[in-house]
Amino acid sequence: MRMRTARSLLAVLLVGSAFRSTEAQDPRLSNRLDAPTRKALSAIVDSARAQGIPVEPLMEKVYQGLAMGADGSRIVVAVRSLTFEMGNAHRVLGAVATTDELKAAASAVHAGVPAVELGKMKKQSGLRRSLTLPFTVLADIVSRGVPVAAATNAIKSLVGAGAKDKDISDFQRNVSVDIEKGAQPAAAAETRAKGAVVPPPKAENREHE
Amino acid sequence: MPDWGRNTLELMVQELQRPVRVDDSFDRRVMVRVRRIYAERRHRGIVGWLAAAANVTRRPAWAAALAAGVVAVVSLSVLKKSPSTVPANGQAIPVQFVLVAPDAHSVAVVGDFNNWGLNDTALVAENHDGVWSVSAPVHTGVHRYAFLVNGKQWVADPTAPRAADDDFGQPSSALVVEASTQ
Repeated sequence: MRMRTARSLLAVLLVGSAFRSTEAQDPRLSNRLDAPTRKALSAIVDSARAQGIPVEPLMEKVYQGLAMGADGSRIVVAVRSLTFEMGNAHRVLGAVATTDELKAAASAVHAGVPAVELGKMKKQSGLRRSLTLPFTVLADIVSRGVPVAAATNAIKSLVGAGAKDKDISDFQRNVSVDIEKGAQPAAAAETRAKGAVVPPPKAENREHE
Repeated sequence: MPDWGRNTLELMVQELQRPVRVDDSFDRRVMVRVRRIYAERRHRGIVGWLAAAANVTRRPAWAAALAAGVVAVVSLSVLKKSPSTVPANGQAIPVQFVLVAPDAHSVAVVGDFNNWGLNDTALVAENHDGVWSVSAPVHTGVHRYAFLVNGKQWVADPTAPRAADDDFGQPSSALVVEASTQ
Protein backbone atom coordinates (compact mmCIF):
# COMPACT_ATOMS: atom_id res chain seq x y z
CA MET A 1 0.00 0.00 0.00
CA ARG A 2 2.78 2.38 1.00
CA MET A 3 4.68 1.48 -2.11
CA ARG A 4 1.62 2.15 -4.26
CA THR A 5 1.10 5.53 -2.59
CA ALA A 6 4.71 6.48 -3.17
CA ARG A 7 4.48 5.42 -6.80
CA SER A 8 1.30 7.43 -7.29
CA LEU A 9 2.89 10.49 -5.74
CA LEU A 10 5.92 10.09 -7.94
CA ALA A 11 3.78 9.61 -11.03
CA VAL A 12 1.73 12.73 -10.32
CA LEU A 13 4.85 14.77 -9.71
CA LEU A 14 6.57 13.39 -12.80
CA VAL A 15 3.60 13.87 -15.10
CA GLY A 16 3.15 17.47 -13.81
CA SER A 17 1.83 19.46 -16.73
CA ALA A 18 4.18 20.70 -19.43
CA PHE A 19 1.49 23.24 -20.17
CA ARG A 20 1.48 24.55 -16.61
CA SER A 21 5.28 24.73 -16.60
CA THR A 22 5.25 26.84 -19.73
CA GLU A 23 2.31 28.84 -18.45
CA ALA A 24 4.31 29.83 -15.41
CA GLN A 25 6.99 31.33 -17.62
CA ASP A 26 4.99 32.93 -20.39
CA PRO A 27 2.47 35.60 -19.39
CA ARG A 28 0.72 35.27 -22.76
CA LEU A 29 -0.84 31.99 -21.63
CA SER A 30 -2.20 33.20 -18.31
CA ASN A 31 -3.12 36.70 -19.52
CA ARG A 32 -4.95 35.74 -22.67
CA LEU A 33 -6.46 32.33 -21.97
CA ASP A 34 -9.24 31.89 -19.47
CA ALA A 35 -9.10 29.27 -16.73
CA PRO A 36 -11.34 26.66 -18.45
CA THR A 37 -9.26 26.92 -21.63
CA ARG A 38 -6.01 26.55 -19.69
CA LYS A 39 -7.42 23.53 -17.87
CA ALA A 40 -8.57 21.90 -21.12
CA LEU A 41 -5.23 22.53 -22.82
CA SER A 42 -3.35 21.23 -19.82
CA ALA A 43 -5.36 17.98 -19.93
CA ILE A 44 -4.76 17.53 -23.67
CA VAL A 45 -1.04 18.17 -23.35
CA ASP A 46 -0.69 15.76 -20.42
CA SER A 47 -2.67 13.10 -22.26
CA ALA A 48 -0.49 13.53 -25.34
CA ARG A 49 2.67 13.19 -23.30
CA ALA A 50 1.33 10.03 -21.65
CA GLN A 51 0.84 8.57 -25.14
CA GLY A 52 4.42 9.39 -26.13
CA ILE A 53 3.38 12.22 -28.45
CA PRO A 54 5.79 15.18 -28.44
CA VAL A 55 4.14 18.17 -26.78
CA GLU A 56 6.26 20.93 -28.28
CA PRO A 57 4.19 21.12 -31.51
CA LEU A 58 1.06 21.38 -29.36
CA MET A 59 2.47 24.36 -27.49
CA GLU A 60 3.44 25.94 -30.83
CA LYS A 61 -0.15 25.55 -31.95
CA VAL A 62 -1.33 27.35 -28.81
CA TYR A 63 1.06 30.24 -29.55
CA GLN A 64 -0.08 30.34 -33.17
CA GLY A 65 -3.69 30.59 -32.07
CA LEU A 66 -2.88 33.40 -29.65
CA ALA A 67 -0.92 35.31 -32.31
CA MET A 68 -3.75 34.96 -34.82
CA GLY A 69 -6.30 36.20 -32.33
CA ALA A 70 -8.25 32.94 -32.02
CA ASP A 71 -10.50 32.48 -29.02
CA GLY A 72 -9.88 29.82 -26.38
CA SER A 73 -12.38 27.28 -27.66
CA ARG A 74 -10.92 27.41 -31.16
CA ILE A 75 -7.41 26.92 -29.81
CA VAL A 76 -8.58 23.90 -27.79
CA VAL A 77 -10.20 22.37 -30.90
CA ALA A 78 -7.03 22.95 -32.95
CA VAL A 79 -4.73 21.47 -30.30
CA ARG A 80 -7.03 18.48 -29.80
CA SER A 81 -7.13 17.91 -33.55
CA LEU A 82 -3.34 18.13 -33.81
CA THR A 83 -2.96 15.67 -30.93
CA PHE A 84 -5.25 13.22 -32.70
CA GLU A 85 -3.38 13.60 -36.00
CA MET A 86 0.02 13.26 -34.35
CA GLY A 87 -1.27 10.20 -32.50
CA ASN A 88 -2.31 8.62 -35.81
CA ALA A 89 1.07 9.45 -37.31
CA HIS A 90 2.85 8.07 -34.24
CA ARG A 91 0.99 4.76 -34.53
CA VAL A 92 1.92 4.18 -38.17
CA LEU A 93 5.43 5.65 -38.21
CA GLY A 94 6.52 4.07 -34.95
CA ALA A 95 8.81 5.22 -32.21
CA VAL A 96 11.61 5.81 -34.73
CA ALA A 97 9.83 8.85 -36.17
CA THR A 98 11.28 12.20 -35.14
CA THR A 99 9.20 15.03 -33.74
CA ASP A 100 9.60 16.86 -37.05
CA GLU A 101 8.41 13.85 -39.03
CA LEU A 102 5.39 13.52 -36.76
CA LYS A 103 4.62 17.20 -37.12
CA ALA A 104 4.89 17.06 -40.91
CA ALA A 105 2.94 13.79 -41.02
CA ALA A 106 0.18 15.31 -38.89
CA SER A 107 -0.07 18.12 -41.41
CA ALA A 108 -0.47 15.59 -44.23
CA VAL A 109 -3.11 13.70 -42.23
CA HIS A 110 -4.90 17.01 -41.63
CA ALA A 111 -4.89 17.60 -45.40
CA GLY A 112 -6.65 14.25 -45.88
CA VAL A 113 -3.84 11.75 -46.51
CA PRO A 114 -4.56 8.41 -44.78
CA ALA A 115 -1.98 7.83 -42.05
CA VAL A 116 -1.44 4.27 -43.29
CA GLU A 117 0.00 5.65 -46.54
CA LEU A 118 2.57 7.61 -44.56
CA GLY A 119 3.53 4.42 -42.74
CA LYS A 120 4.06 2.67 -46.07
CA MET A 121 6.36 5.47 -47.20
CA LYS A 122 8.37 5.19 -43.99
CA LYS A 123 8.79 1.47 -44.52
CA GLN A 124 9.74 2.03 -48.12
CA SER A 125 12.37 4.62 -47.30
CA GLY A 126 14.04 3.03 -44.28
CA LEU A 127 15.06 4.48 -40.96
CA ARG A 128 17.78 6.83 -42.09
CA ARG A 129 15.75 8.84 -44.59
CA SER A 130 13.92 11.70 -42.93
CA LEU A 131 10.47 12.12 -44.43
CA THR A 132 9.86 15.55 -42.93
CA LEU A 133 10.15 17.34 -46.25
CA PRO A 134 8.27 14.72 -48.34
CA PHE A 135 5.35 14.83 -45.85
CA THR A 136 5.42 18.64 -45.87
CA VAL A 137 5.31 18.71 -49.67
CA LEU A 138 2.56 16.09 -49.68
CA ALA A 139 0.42 18.28 -47.41
CA ASP A 140 1.18 21.29 -49.60
CA ILE A 141 0.20 19.79 -52.94
CA VAL A 142 -3.00 18.28 -51.50
CA SER A 143 -3.92 21.72 -50.16
CA ARG A 144 -3.32 23.10 -53.69
CA GLY A 145 -5.93 20.73 -55.10
CA VAL A 146 -3.96 17.64 -56.10
CA PRO A 147 -6.20 14.65 -55.27
CA VAL A 148 -4.94 12.67 -52.29
CA ALA A 149 -4.29 9.49 -54.32
CA ALA A 150 -2.35 11.32 -57.04
CA ALA A 151 -0.36 13.32 -54.52
CA THR A 152 0.48 10.23 -52.46
CA ASN A 153 1.55 8.28 -55.55
CA ALA A 154 3.73 11.15 -56.71
CA ILE A 155 5.55 11.49 -53.40
CA LYS A 156 5.85 7.71 -53.04
CA SER A 157 7.45 7.45 -56.47
CA LEU A 158 9.90 10.23 -55.62
CA VAL A 159 10.86 8.74 -52.27
CA GLY A 160 11.03 5.24 -53.78
CA ALA A 161 13.35 6.48 -56.52
CA GLY A 162 15.71 7.93 -53.94
CA ALA A 163 14.93 11.56 -54.72
CA LYS A 164 16.73 13.96 -52.39
CA ASP A 165 15.03 16.75 -50.46
CA LYS A 166 16.20 19.28 -53.03
CA ASP A 167 14.54 17.27 -55.83
CA ILE A 168 11.32 17.13 -53.82
CA SER A 169 11.48 20.88 -53.11
CA ASP A 170 11.93 21.53 -56.83
CA PHE A 171 8.99 19.22 -57.52
CA GLN A 172 6.79 21.21 -55.10
CA ARG A 173 7.81 24.51 -56.67
CA ASN A 174 7.15 23.24 -60.20
CA VAL A 175 3.76 21.77 -59.31
CA SER A 176 2.64 24.98 -57.60
CA VAL A 177 3.75 27.10 -60.58
CA ASP A 178 1.98 24.74 -63.01
CA ILE A 179 -1.24 24.94 -60.99
CA GLU A 180 -1.02 28.73 -60.76
CA LYS A 181 -0.67 28.82 -64.54
CA GLY A 182 -3.90 26.82 -64.91
CA ALA A 183 -2.76 23.19 -65.08
CA GLN A 184 -4.97 20.46 -63.68
CA PRO A 185 -3.48 19.72 -60.23
CA ALA A 186 -3.41 15.92 -60.71
CA ALA A 187 -1.81 16.20 -64.14
CA ALA A 188 0.79 18.65 -62.84
CA ALA A 189 1.76 16.33 -59.98
CA GLU A 190 1.92 13.20 -62.11
CA THR A 191 3.90 14.86 -64.89
CA ARG A 192 6.36 16.60 -62.60
CA ALA A 193 6.89 13.43 -60.55
CA LYS A 194 7.89 11.56 -63.70
CA GLY A 195 10.38 14.27 -64.56
CA ALA A 196 11.82 14.47 -61.06
CA VAL A 197 12.49 10.75 -60.59
CA VAL A 198 16.21 10.23 -60.69
CA PRO A 199 17.33 7.23 -62.78
CA PRO A 200 19.77 4.85 -61.04
CA PRO A 201 23.44 5.68 -61.64
CA LYS A 202 24.97 3.88 -64.62
CA ALA A 203 27.87 2.55 -62.53
CA GLU A 204 25.48 0.40 -60.49
CA ASN A 205 23.96 -1.08 -63.64
CA ARG A 206 27.39 -2.11 -64.86
CA GLU A 207 28.08 -3.94 -61.62
CA HIS A 208 25.02 -6.14 -62.15
CA GLU A 209 25.93 -6.97 -65.74
CA MET B 1 1.42 -5.61 -29.93
CA PRO B 2 0.11 -2.18 -31.07
CA ASP B 3 0.44 -1.13 -34.73
CA TRP B 4 3.16 1.38 -34.06
CA GLY B 5 5.16 -1.23 -32.19
CA ARG B 6 4.86 -3.74 -35.02
CA ASN B 7 5.79 -1.11 -37.59
CA THR B 8 8.77 -0.04 -35.55
CA LEU B 9 9.88 -3.64 -35.25
CA GLU B 10 9.55 -4.19 -38.99
CA LEU B 11 11.52 -1.03 -39.71
CA MET B 12 14.24 -2.07 -37.29
CA VAL B 13 14.48 -5.53 -38.86
CA GLN B 14 14.59 -3.96 -42.31
CA GLU B 15 17.35 -1.62 -41.21
CA LEU B 16 19.34 -4.35 -39.50
CA GLN B 17 19.27 -6.45 -42.67
CA ARG B 18 21.12 -3.77 -44.58
CA PRO B 19 24.84 -4.40 -44.97
CA VAL B 20 26.95 -2.14 -42.79
CA ARG B 21 30.47 -1.11 -43.71
CA VAL B 22 32.87 -0.23 -40.94
CA ASP B 23 36.26 1.32 -41.41
CA ASP B 24 39.50 -0.07 -39.98
CA SER B 25 39.43 2.19 -36.93
CA PHE B 26 35.98 1.02 -35.84
CA ASP B 27 37.15 -1.46 -33.17
CA ARG B 28 39.52 1.05 -31.66
CA ARG B 29 36.85 3.78 -31.49
CA VAL B 30 34.33 1.42 -29.90
CA MET B 31 36.80 0.39 -27.20
CA VAL B 32 37.68 4.02 -26.44
CA ARG B 33 33.98 4.80 -26.00
CA VAL B 34 33.37 1.72 -23.84
CA ARG B 35 36.28 2.60 -21.54
CA ARG B 36 34.99 6.17 -21.23
CA ILE B 37 31.47 5.00 -20.28
CA TYR B 38 32.90 2.56 -17.73
CA ALA B 39 35.06 5.29 -16.21
CA GLU B 40 32.09 7.69 -16.03
CA ARG B 41 29.96 5.10 -14.24
CA ARG B 42 32.68 4.44 -11.70
CA HIS B 43 32.79 8.13 -10.86
CA ARG B 44 29.06 8.63 -10.75
CA GLY B 45 28.96 8.18 -6.95
CA ILE B 46 25.63 9.05 -5.35
CA VAL B 47 23.67 8.78 -8.61
CA GLY B 48 24.96 5.28 -9.16
CA TRP B 49 24.13 4.40 -5.57
CA LEU B 50 20.56 5.70 -5.97
CA ALA B 51 20.12 3.79 -9.21
CA ALA B 52 21.27 0.61 -7.50
CA ALA B 53 18.94 1.00 -4.48
CA ALA B 54 16.08 -1.39 -5.19
CA ASN B 55 13.97 -0.81 -2.08
CA VAL B 56 13.85 2.96 -2.20
CA THR B 57 10.15 3.16 -3.11
CA ARG B 58 9.18 1.02 -0.14
CA ARG B 59 9.96 3.85 2.25
CA PRO B 60 7.72 6.93 2.04
CA ALA B 61 10.54 9.23 3.21
CA TRP B 62 12.87 7.95 0.52
CA ALA B 63 10.08 8.14 -2.04
CA ALA B 64 9.29 11.73 -1.15
CA ALA B 65 12.96 12.71 -1.28
CA LEU B 66 13.43 10.99 -4.59
CA ALA B 67 10.24 12.56 -5.97
CA ALA B 68 11.36 16.02 -4.87
CA GLY B 69 14.73 15.49 -6.53
CA VAL B 70 13.15 14.25 -9.73
CA VAL B 71 10.74 17.20 -9.78
CA ALA B 72 13.65 19.58 -9.37
CA VAL B 73 15.46 17.95 -12.30
CA VAL B 74 12.29 17.90 -14.44
CA SER B 75 11.54 21.53 -13.61
CA LEU B 76 15.05 22.54 -14.56
CA SER B 77 14.83 20.66 -17.83
CA VAL B 78 11.43 22.20 -18.62
CA LEU B 79 12.86 25.63 -17.89
CA LYS B 80 15.78 24.96 -20.17
CA LYS B 81 13.58 23.62 -22.94
CA SER B 82 10.98 26.34 -22.65
CA PRO B 83 10.03 27.67 -26.09
CA SER B 84 10.50 31.17 -24.75
CA THR B 85 14.12 30.53 -23.82
CA VAL B 86 15.98 27.95 -25.90
CA PRO B 87 14.46 26.11 -28.87
CA ALA B 88 14.64 22.34 -28.50
CA ASN B 89 15.87 21.54 -31.98
CA GLY B 90 19.40 21.57 -33.29
CA GLN B 91 21.72 24.31 -34.40
CA ALA B 92 20.28 27.60 -35.64
CA ILE B 93 21.18 28.68 -39.14
CA PRO B 94 20.32 31.96 -40.84
CA VAL B 95 17.29 31.81 -43.13
CA GLN B 96 16.32 34.70 -45.36
CA PHE B 97 12.63 35.60 -45.49
CA VAL B 98 11.47 37.82 -48.34
CA LEU B 99 8.07 39.28 -49.11
CA VAL B 100 7.24 41.66 -51.94
CA ALA B 101 4.68 44.09 -50.55
CA PRO B 102 4.97 47.51 -52.19
CA ASP B 103 2.09 49.05 -50.23
CA ALA B 104 3.08 47.74 -46.81
CA HIS B 105 4.13 49.99 -43.95
CA SER B 106 5.50 47.13 -41.86
CA VAL B 107 6.14 43.43 -42.30
CA ALA B 108 7.10 40.87 -39.66
CA VAL B 109 7.72 37.15 -39.92
CA VAL B 110 5.99 35.23 -37.14
CA GLY B 111 6.21 31.50 -36.56
CA ASP B 112 7.17 28.50 -34.49
CA PHE B 113 10.81 29.60 -34.47
CA ASN B 114 10.02 32.82 -32.58
CA ASN B 115 7.06 31.47 -30.61
CA TRP B 116 4.68 33.46 -32.74
CA GLY B 117 5.94 36.68 -31.22
CA LEU B 118 4.29 39.42 -33.26
CA ASN B 119 7.09 41.94 -32.85
CA ASP B 120 10.12 39.70 -32.67
CA THR B 121 11.32 39.53 -36.28
CA ALA B 122 10.63 42.57 -38.43
CA LEU B 123 11.47 42.67 -42.13
CA VAL B 124 13.11 45.72 -43.66
CA ALA B 125 12.67 47.26 -47.12
CA GLU B 126 16.13 48.75 -47.37
CA ASN B 127 15.59 50.65 -50.60
CA HIS B 128 11.92 51.39 -49.91
CA ASP B 129 11.16 49.46 -53.09
CA GLY B 130 8.61 47.11 -51.58
CA VAL B 131 11.00 44.16 -51.26
CA TRP B 132 10.96 43.33 -47.56
CA SER B 133 13.53 40.94 -46.16
CA VAL B 134 15.23 39.72 -43.03
CA SER B 135 17.72 37.02 -42.20
CA ALA B 136 16.78 35.23 -38.98
CA PRO B 137 18.37 32.29 -37.18
CA VAL B 138 16.12 29.23 -37.38
CA HIS B 139 16.76 25.90 -35.73
CA THR B 140 16.71 22.69 -37.72
CA GLY B 141 13.26 21.18 -37.98
CA VAL B 142 9.90 21.92 -39.50
CA HIS B 143 8.31 25.28 -38.71
CA ARG B 144 4.98 26.94 -39.40
CA TYR B 145 5.11 30.66 -40.11
CA ALA B 146 3.40 33.57 -41.83
CA PHE B 147 4.04 37.21 -42.61
CA LEU B 148 2.13 39.85 -40.69
CA VAL B 149 1.64 42.90 -42.89
CA ASN B 150 0.82 46.27 -41.30
CA GLY B 151 0.27 44.51 -38.00
CA LYS B 152 -3.06 43.02 -39.05
CA GLN B 153 -3.00 41.07 -42.31
CA TRP B 154 -1.65 37.51 -42.36
CA VAL B 155 0.05 36.47 -45.59
CA ALA B 156 1.54 33.08 -46.45
CA ASP B 157 4.99 32.98 -48.02
CA PRO B 158 4.25 32.65 -51.75
CA THR B 159 7.56 30.86 -52.33
CA ALA B 160 7.13 28.19 -49.63
CA PRO B 161 4.97 25.10 -49.17
CA ARG B 162 1.61 25.79 -47.58
CA ALA B 163 0.88 24.57 -44.09
CA ALA B 164 -2.24 22.50 -44.56
CA ASP B 165 -3.38 22.93 -40.97
CA ASP B 166 -4.52 26.55 -40.99
CA ASP B 167 -6.86 25.98 -38.06
CA PHE B 168 -7.33 29.64 -37.29
CA GLY B 169 -8.64 30.76 -40.66
CA GLN B 170 -5.39 32.46 -41.66
CA PRO B 171 -2.87 31.20 -44.20
CA SER B 172 0.53 29.98 -43.11
CA SER B 173 3.55 28.33 -44.66
CA ALA B 174 5.89 25.49 -43.82
CA LEU B 175 9.65 25.72 -43.60
CA VAL B 176 11.90 22.68 -43.31
CA VAL B 177 15.43 23.38 -42.15
CA GLU B 178 17.42 20.16 -42.43
CA ALA B 179 20.77 19.66 -40.79
CA SER B 180 22.15 18.44 -44.12
CA THR B 181 21.41 21.82 -45.71
CA GLN B 182 23.87 23.53 -43.43
